[in-house]
Amino acid sequence: MQATDISIIYVASFAILLIGYLTAISSKDVIRLLISLELMFGAVFMSLIPLFSAISNPPAAFGIAILTIFTSSGELLVLIYAIITLDRQKKNIYTSSVTIGGDR
Amino acid sequence: MLLLSALACTAVLSSLVVLLTRDNFYASMFMSAAMIMVATIYALFDLQPVFVLIVFIFVGALGMVTVALAATYRFAPGRQISWLWALPVVITAFILAFSVYAAQLAPLGKIQFALQGFITPEYLLLIIFLTSLTVLLLLSVLKMGLKYGDKEEEQEGGGS
Repeated sequence: MQATDISIIYVASFAILLIGYLTAISSKDVIRLLISLELMFGAVFMSLIPLFSAISNPPAAFGIAILTIFTSSGELLVLIYAIITLDRQKKNIYTSSVTIGGDR
Repeated sequence: MLLLSALACTAVLSSLVVLLTRDNFYASMFMSAAMIMVATIYALFDLQPVFVLIVFIFVGALGMVTVALAATYRFAPGRQISWLWALPVVITAFILAFSVYAAQLAPLGKIQFALQGFITPEYLLLIIFLTSLTVLLLLSVLKMGLKYGDKEEEQEGGGS
């Protein structure tokens, strides 16, 4: 893997991460928040690619990739459930309706 | 390098469309496209197992649930973004790009993927712990949902 390839991967990964952050702070509904979170995880997956050639033990990089994929999947599943619960409780999916938080 | 640049550019452009589009449905579709591009970069470096994992789990399962949710709540709320945010984003992206360019990264070795080396007791233990954690997490979510469903039924019963 050439240094140029690594640069391209890192720059694209940072760009996607920043776009994900921008989408998250600009979202008014939780669906857009979910989409932006998935984008951010996409950027993280992309930044993992050089790890496969940097670590002398490739299975370790594969282990890290599996851990990342499953952890983020679990997190997103919980968020999807939270969106459904929010819709059932508040009858809307706006982020402004979850600003108070906690049990009331 | 050309193919990698094209894939990376497509991924960045797709994610940019996610930011700019007002419709949740199109945003989720372009998000899936960006994820597929990221997975394709893995395939480009002969890392097909990770490609399969990302495409099956992220795009196949979670991406489709997100698309379904976005199609259900398909409305276009106004964005609450101030375009002044673009300025720090551009500055940060420039600094990051320059630092990566100036770092003169040494070329790394060729990627050699060996799945058979992954099946060791340490990794198996790690996977078992991770699976247990995920099952526990989902069970607690399920319990919360059942509790909420019971409470809702009680309220409806009390109301009628």
